[in-house]
Amino acid sequence: MSATTRQLVENLNALATGLFLLTAFGIVGTRQARGCLQLFIAQSLLLAASAGLLGLQFHSQHLYGVMLVNLITKPVIVPWLLRRTAPVEIYTRREIDQVLNIPTALSIALALAIGAYFLGVPLTQALPPEYHGPNVPIGIAGLFLGALTLTVRREALPLLLGLLAMENGAFLAGISIARDLTMLVELAIATDGLIIVFIVGVLVRAVEQHVGTTAVGALASLKEAAPHAEREVTP
Amino acid sequence: MSGRIGFNLLQVLVVMAFAPLVSGVTSRLKEMVQSKRGPSVFQPYRDLWKLFHKDEIVSHDSSWIFRFTPYIVFIAPVFVALLIPVLTSYPLFFAFMGDMLGAGFVLALAGFFAALAAVDTANPYGPMGASRTRMVGFLAEPVFMIVFFTVSFVAGSTIPYIVQQKWVTPAANFFAPSHVLLLLAFILLILAEGGRIPVDNPTGHFELAMIDESKSLEYSGQGFALIKWGGQMKFFVLLCVFLNVLLIPWGLAQRQDLAAVLLAVPLVLLKVFCFVLVLVVIESSLAKLRLFRIVEFLGAAFVTSVAAMIAQVFAA
Amino acid sequence: MNLIAVLLPPLIAAALTGIPSKKSWWAPGVSVLSCLVVLLLAGRMAWRIALGSSLTAALGAGWSNWVAIDGLSALILLLIALVASTAAVYSVGYMAHGQLTQGKLRLYHVNYNLFIFSMLAIPLLAEPTLVWIVVELTTLCSALLVSFENTREALEAAWKYVVLSLMGAGFALFGFLVLFAAMHATGSGPYTWSALLAAAPTMPPLLTQTAFLVILIGLGTKVGLVPMHTWLPDAHSQAPSPVCALLSGIETTSILYVILRLFPVMQRVPGAHAQIWALVLGLISVGTAAFLLLQVTDYKRLLAFSTVEHMGIILTAVGLGASAHYGAVQQIVSHSVTKSFCFFAAGATLLGVGTRQISAVRGLIRRAPIAGAALLLGGLAITGAPPLAVFLSEFAILRAGLVQSQYLVSGLLALFIVIAFFGVMVHVNRMVFGTAQANQAQEDPPHEVEAPRFRLPFSCTLALIVAAVPVIVLGLYIPAPLQELLKQAAAALGR
Repeated sequence: MSATTRQLVENLNALATGLFLLTAFGIVGTRQARGCLQLFIAQSLLLAASAGLLGLQFHSQHLYGVMLVNLITKPVIVPWLLRRTAPVEIYTRREIDQVLNIPTALSIALALAIGAYFLGVPLTQALPPEYHGPNVPIGIAGLFLGALTLTVRREALPLLLGLLAMENGAFLAGISIARDLTMLVELAIATDGLIIVFIVGVLVRAVEQHVGTTAVGALASLKEAAPHAEREVTP
Repeated sequence: MSGRIGFNLLQVLVVMAFAPLVSGVTSRLKEMVQSKRGPSVFQPYRDLWKLFHKDEIVSHDSSWIFRFTPYIVFIAPVFVALLIPVLTSYPLFFAFMGDMLGAGFVLALAGFFAALAAVDTANPYGPMGASRTRMVGFLAEPVFMIVFFTVSFVAGSTIPYIVQQKWVTPAANFFAPSHVLLLLAFILLILAEGGRIPVDNPTGHFELAMIDESKSLEYSGQGFALIKWGGQMKFFVLLCVFLNVLLIPWGLAQRQDLAAVLLAVPLVLLKVFCFVLVLVVIESSLAKLRLFRIVEFLGAAFVTSVAAMIAQVFAA
Repeated sequence: MNLIAVLLPPLIAAALTGIPSKKSWWAPGVSVLSCLVVLLLAGRMAWRIALGSSLTAALGAGWSNWVAIDGLSALILLLIALVASTAAVYSVGYMAHGQLTQGKLRLYHVNYNLFIFSMLAIPLLAEPTLVWIVVELTTLCSALLVSFENTREALEAAWKYVVLSLMGAGFALFGFLVLFAAMHATGSGPYTWSALLAAAPTMPPLLTQTAFLVILIGLGTKVGLVPMHTWLPDAHSQAPSPVCALLSGIETTSILYVILRLFPVMQRVPGAHAQIWALVLGLISVGTAAFLLLQVTDYKRLLAFSTVEHMGIILTAVGLGASAHYGAVQQIVSHSVTKSFCFFAAGATLLGVGTRQISAVRGLIRRAPIAGAALLLGGLAITGAPPLAVFLSEFAILRAGLVQSQYLVSGLLALFIVIAFFGVMVHVNRMVFGTAQANQAQEDPPHEVEAPRFRLPFSCTLALIVAAVPVIVLGLYIPAPLQELLKQAAAALGR
């Protein structure tokens, strides 16, 4: 592979990871649940693109496999599973009131992204030179921003997507430093993501039916001090 | 050297002459996208001509600010046009008089006076529009700063000519993540500063919803013509900064003779019109944001620009 | 291959219990049978390991990269099988009491078996990323069990459980990937626990330490270490009681096992302070849990906080060093059997009284004598009263701490254990022996005086008796094979 092609591939990988970071910010701050889902699908496509580009750069079959797995499971199967298990109302929800208002949440996200860079760059420096690249810092940033999404959002779909975004972030870091993980493991992780969607979908449907709202992050009745009147419990 | 002064003045004349054309093309394209015919692209020229020939009415209760502001709003973009690359890729005579931050401050000065003038009259809509414009302005300031900081960090200088030579001219940098993110941030900034949808509706007539337009409600005749022209020039100047420094620095005059510079004029206009097309598509597909959501819009622009800065400054 | 055999019965049982059947004993019976088969297989494996033969050679050649077993994993496997069996027997009677529809009962048993399967796989798998996948599976398989009653509180508990556990697991995935990178930076080879141990001295220390911390915090969320424990009291109290026994008794222990696997690796990395982290986190967990215990109003939450406390004690023991490792492993065993017994007792109480509020339960010994006696025994056992199992293990840990001159740690540990003892026993005492006070009669209608004596279902009583046996026996005498197994497990914790 010539030097200019190599440079181009590296630049495209850097672009893919940069846009990945942007989608992670978007998942934290988008009001509409459907917008969140679209951003998550874009994030998975960017992850697949980065995997493919790294596979091109290092001639690794595993990474091509990762790219294929990501292209099939997340943009296609996750929305399908959501439609099957969870009510259609999930798609039209938007956050009316947030835990934190959006500019504050975005500023915290920014601070976390900068912190992720400070954590990630020494980690890559400790590895041999062929592992260097933007994947690890941005992967850690994706991890942190997914965790932030779980903290600041109340609606069910953004919370689920925050969980999956965390895994995307961990995976983005992983494809550049853990390239030789066998395909079995990658397939298992992908299937695991689907099981998460399935179970959470079933749970959200149960919450919708029995509690009457999908703002699951706002459920906070289990506390210590208030001895609320207990209903007759059916064991 | 005299050639360079001459090119500089030519640059200013180009900006002055073609700014209304850009405005006319924008309105025409927007109407065409909406399946209407729209006014002629030269209509802004006719409007300016008409306004220059009308009487001016000035309120008794206004002060010298009200009378001076149209001239300040007109001159500021002219100054900025002296500083930025419009036609040439090499620095001209006045290029080192001020850098991008200086250009930003000059435009901010014009905005400051416009806001003051809006408050100067007793019109109730004036101060309302002024305060809203200030809100958008101060939220957009950090984005400007971070964008300029990032590009200067790469180029090692804040003069736009030097930045332009170092930033995207090595074509491999076009796909660098910081470049793409900066483009996104700057597009959001142009939408905010230029008063386009989704921040503000430039063709709206409902005063309670106006942000930029209500500052010029009290003006008439020559003052109004100068303010309109100044606003169009400011938009053109912003577009020039975006296109010639950040996005497509190619197509500017490389050689130092008149023919090359004159050739650059249609090329620059072509770039501007292509971008205006993109802008029109964006404007026609979005709805105007509610006022408090402009904060989120500019917050997103800020986050994008800081992400670009992180990708540039901290990345290996 | 015969290591995998222990995983097959739960899978088959999950498939079989999903088949709709007219007979009401089909689903519970299949579950109980599969758990007994698993107990047999796990017991045999543990027996052979204790007798000294290593079981890795019994597999085919390529499988040792995926499946391996040593003293520690055999111990955990045995515990899982034991608690699963008693809980399966218990749930026969417990679930029948609730008059559920056949479909709901099938759902319970399918999830139950899948949950057992995922937990059994944790000690067996040798590749850390596969272990991570199975850890996530435990969360997912138990999510619907926690929300089984479909009340508002149960759903909220299940939601918090899923979100926090998966969040921690996301961090842990990153940690495992960094560990892989560290191992492969200076060499290559299969990614297994034993290979990690061998490669530990040559791995870049910054990467290994980062990975350790991230995994400690990530999986520590699932174990219930403070400050990531907020989901645990909710989830472990809102689930049906046999599920609570599984969750508190063996699930947190299995995840702690995964964390403990990293400690011998960290000992070989220069400059790593893994033991200090374990001490600090463990002590914080014990202390916070002991103080939070004092203000609970729900007796199942009481037991859940006690789980947090015991997880902290085990972690502190690991942090104390090699002489305390035997105590740590012993504590793992005693906590599992005791906590499951406690939850069986709590479930029996719930069946008899109908509410989870401590203030509404008085004089249990008169009304439901078996439940009352079990609750009393459980309360004494879990807080470390002699001559029961937990006392022996806590004593061993404290003694090891004093021998090492770690006076502050041992002193704090003893203090917190005493606080927890008082916190639990005050409530248990009142619940079992007390009489209703006048002011409490206004909050909830008194349940003890006029109501008739309550009869527990037979299978619940059977499970209570079977579960009580190790709690009492292990406090007096540890059989030699078990001692041998414990010694091997302690050796696996740190060289």
